[in-house]
Amino acid sequence: MFMFIVRRVLQAIPVLFMVALVTFIMIRSAPGGPFDEDRAVPPEVIKNLNERYHLDDPLWKQFLDYISKVVQGDLGPSFKYPSHTVNDLIAAGLPATLELSFYALVFALVTGLTAGIIASLKTNSMQDYIPMSAAMIGICMPTFVLGPILLLIFGVWLGWLPVAGWGQIPGDKILPSITLGSVYAAYIARISRGGMLDILSQDYIRTARAKGLSTTRIVFVHALRGGITPVISFLGPAIAGLLAGSFVVETIFQIPGLGRFYVTAAFNRDYTMILGCTIFFAFLIILFNLLADVMLVWLNPKLRQELEARG
Amino acid sequence: MYMIRWITYCIIVAGLLSGCGKSQKLVDIGNEKQILHMANGDEISDLDPQATTGMPEWRVQLAVFEGLVARDPQTLKIVPAVAERWDVSEDGTKYRFYIRESAKWSNGDEITANDFVQSWRRSFLPALGNQYATSLYVVKNAQAFHEGKIDFTEVGVKAVEKRILDVELIAPTPYFLQLLAHHSAFAVHIPTIERFGAIDERGTKWTRPENFVGNGPFVPYEWIPTKYIAVKRNPYYWDAANTKLNEIKFYPIPKYTVEERMFRAGQLHITYYLPRDKLEYYKAKNDGVLRSFQNFATYFYRFNTTIKPLDDLRVRKALAYSVNRQQIVEYVTKFGQKPAYALTAPDPNSYVPEAKMPYDPDLARKLLAEAGFPDGKGFPKLTIAFNTNDEHRNVGMAIQQMWKKELGIEVGLENVEWKVFLDRERQLDYEIDRASWVGDYLDPFTFLEMFTTGNGNNKTGFTNAKYDQLIRASSLEADQVKRMGYFQEADKILVDEVPILPLYTYHWNRLVSNSVKNWYDNAVDYYSFKQIYLE
Amino acid sequence: MSEVTHIPELANLEKGRSLTQDALARLRKNRMAMLGLYFLIGLIVIALLTPWIAPYSYEEQNLELGASPPSAQHWLGTDILGRDQLTRIMYGSRISLAVGFIATAVALTIGVLWGAIAGFVGGRVDALMMRIVDALYALPFTIFIILLTVVFGSSLLLLFLAIGAVEWLTMARIVRGQVLAIKKQEYVEAAISMGLSPWRIISRHLIPNVLGPVIVYTTLTIPSVILLESFLSFLGLGIQPPASSWGSLISSGVEVMEEYVWLLFFPGVVLTLTLFSLNFLGDGLRDALDPRASKD
Repeated sequence: MFMFIVRRVLQAIPVLFMVALVTFIMIRSAPGGPFDEDRAVPPEVIKNLNERYHLDDPLWKQFLDYISKVVQGDLGPSFKYPSHTVNDLIAAGLPATLELSFYALVFALVTGLTAGIIASLKTNSMQDYIPMSAAMIGICMPTFVLGPILLLIFGVWLGWLPVAGWGQIPGDKILPSITLGSVYAAYIARISRGGMLDILSQDYIRTARAKGLSTTRIVFVHALRGGITPVISFLGPAIAGLLAGSFVVETIFQIPGLGRFYVTAAFNRDYTMILGCTIFFAFLIILFNLLADVMLVWLNPKLRQELEARG
Repeated sequence: MYMIRWITYCIIVAGLLSGCGKSQKLVDIGNEKQILHMANGDEISDLDPQATTGMPEWRVQLAVFEGLVARDPQTLKIVPAVAERWDVSEDGTKYRFYIRESAKWSNGDEITANDFVQSWRRSFLPALGNQYATSLYVVKNAQAFHEGKIDFTEVGVKAVEKRILDVELIAPTPYFLQLLAHHSAFAVHIPTIERFGAIDERGTKWTRPENFVGNGPFVPYEWIPTKYIAVKRNPYYWDAANTKLNEIKFYPIPKYTVEERMFRAGQLHITYYLPRDKLEYYKAKNDGVLRSFQNFATYFYRFNTTIKPLDDLRVRKALAYSVNRQQIVEYVTKFGQKPAYALTAPDPNSYVPEAKMPYDPDLARKLLAEAGFPDGKGFPKLTIAFNTNDEHRNVGMAIQQMWKKELGIEVGLENVEWKVFLDRERQLDYEIDRASWVGDYLDPFTFLEMFTTGNGNNKTGFTNAKYDQLIRASSLEADQVKRMGYFQEADKILVDEVPILPLYTYHWNRLVSNSVKNWYDNAVDYYSFKQIYLE
Repeated sequence: MSEVTHIPELANLEKGRSLTQDALARLRKNRMAMLGLYFLIGLIVIALLTPWIAPYSYEEQNLELGASPPSAQHWLGTDILGRDQLTRIMYGSRISLAVGFIATAVALTIGVLWGAIAGFVGGRVDALMMRIVDALYALPFTIFIILLTVVFGSSLLLLFLAIGAVEWLTMARIVRGQVLAIKKQEYVEAAISMGLSPWRIISRHLIPNVLGPVIVYTTLTIPSVILLESFLSFLGLGIQPPASSWGSLISSGVEVMEEYVWLLFFPGVVLTLTLFSLNFLGDGLRDALDPRASKD
């Protein structure tokens, strides 16, 4: 197990390098530069700015300089927000984004698993249809529609919850977390229902049923472990999606998170910011995928044996 | 089992929700403590007045800096600020400013004439890359210094005494004092800047709240990117006794629908803008929160005059004459805009362009036929490019239909990402594109200078010797009546030659809570934060 | 509709004719699935016939009319430029369905093959293939699609490819996970020990068994593809005007939902019904194709 983790971590290094390279090539081939503005900037001023940020060096040199700094943990200055470094901005935006994603994930897991398991116990009944229809609505409602609707109902009309902000007014974290989490709750509900159904039709569960074990015992002791395996393989990408999807929620709820910086950085051609965020997000995604895999292996003894056999 | 669990779950959620009860209103707390919560469009890039260009930055700078002169937000007249008075020579080229004795930096240092000399010097240093450096080219030898040709001692700005500043201009510039009220002419605290890096180094940490030294009525104390920048009262400000607010929080809220909701929920005193579809609602409500005012800005289309068939004046005229602007402002943009028939935005207090581009579909059809495209036959498919925005899209679609209906020609629409758009525009790699111009100061020059030959903002390929001559003459002329005459002629040339298709004069709508007093909206977005108070 | 046409063939491979007929019979009995199927068929027919049956032209404006609620002339109301919304939704369905089905087909093909091979072969090949998936996962695709549309301009083809390229990853992972689990089952181990060729094992035992999760995930992929397109519209990078997709209609409708609610409501309802139908059909197919489920 330990070797498995070490190997995966080592494998992550070339992956991160490739991510940086591909991103670098893409942003530098996009037309327009960080200093282009509506009001024409005199060419000599642009020249001065390019010199200041070494954008006049050959591209390969810029990339190597950048990478050598990244290795030392320095993601460079932001072009758009010159008094802040990319490290500063990530540090400023990350807590809100992580917190938001975490609450959203908790919400998604709690509601999704509950609904999925309940539905799987009695298929083609109201107990199945209601949670699954709710899940479907969750899936087909884009966050940029769900967010404003929740805001209108609970924020503006009922006045129960604040309509924007993060940690400024009590209760302002509830609506964004639900908005971001609902899509994943819906996915988890469907996937866990599918996974549970597969397991529940296996012979050993039938045997357990035949022995007269209670439903609760069957679900929690025997079926759950196998049934949620697909949910766990889904978690890695789900977390990646949560981090990326936080952009919309951060915009709608006016949350000072990283997602907003990230997407606007692409539009601003804030090269260092895009690269820095991409590498950082890639790092997080690799980390969470690794965690999901570790859990998957841990839950499936046969896989674990195979891994251990391989060393 | 499931029903019970489901119901329990619902009860828990309902309990959580109701537990929060009615949420607190920031606006009410703000009113009590004199804290103004205002939306500020986008996140500010920096506070350095010599390294920024945007509107959101400008508004924060107005709170934390002050120029030699300021504006009265109601009348937009120039009023004393750091300079308590000034003299102007008869020919209008020499100014002498007397800096008030009580003027201080926010760390208690005195403000001297030399601070302005050094600050202006900084603004011309090449490495700083100040995008607005050219606006002070009216100062003698400033351009030569900026281009690195001469020493700063030859530039026409001198500290004669500790508190007396002399400025010499290359030509009488009637709007010079207006330039001084702009952030690019503000003074910065040189010792603070040098403490965090070289004088011409961009983006050092001196603008961070913990390091910042300014001279405005407020100083920043907290800056959390994408959350807010908060400023508090500056005790060293010369007019601190008359400054009423304790704090201002500027929130970067890029989406207008978001800020409107926040306003309704009592989380903001002032919004930046207003979603278009909300105008009718607030008009009908008529409770005094809607502020509606004209901007010193024009929305227009550029024609690329260097390509076929747009190099043919008849074609440009045909396109321009068949656009019904009244319909556009009335049914498409619906935000109180006025149709524009010439480039310069009307200034109700002085200059209103007399030349008018006609709306005449019959003439347009005739001209198009003369150009070789009767009923639009054989007309190549042109494309209108616009940057991503619902309003630009709607205007484009309306014009697309008008040309199809009146002239029988098909044009395409292309939604282009902003930076790509700018890049293409600069390389004249477009056919027709959407543009706008916001005047920097109240003088037609700020608009008309744009279409002189070789100007970086021309971007149409338009060149006209007579036009260039008129604009040059206007900047050497001290007599205002004569100058305005030149401008009328220049506007007329643009109307006759049609390098652009003016569409409308911008109109701004925003919401200002009734508890905000002494807030005046105006055409150039100038605010005097020290006067404002909450009730 | 790739999955509908493919699945009977696969089932054929495994069980022969009568079981396929069994499955179809089971599907026919599932009322929700059949409703969904009929709705989708109806929708596809309407989408195909739109140019001939649409009540108005999709770009025809009536500026004086502006945004008007549903009426006798305009059943679903008009948008801000006075264009008939029914017409625009009909044209939008052509684009949204095309994006949904084509991009999903791209994702499905790559994902299933990739995941099945990786999971079945295992060992180094599996490690390598999954590391490639990981590497691609680690790319924040939102930004990549933004950059792609910025660099190449937004076109339908790019949307298909970009979205398809994003969505196959999860599919590959799910398939691999299922394959790994099933590989350990006795009957597969038995088949391996009997020396059956890998291809036979994949096609006879693995693919039919991972079909359930794949169908479920496909029914989730089509909606998420349609939603991804709408997210791009939300960013202003979707389809070029005056054309529209459901996504672009919804994202502009949500901005004005308090004033002109019909501009959000109708495209939203059509989208929801479509996604519901896909879902019920997918569930129905799953139950119909899984012989074990029928014995319960």
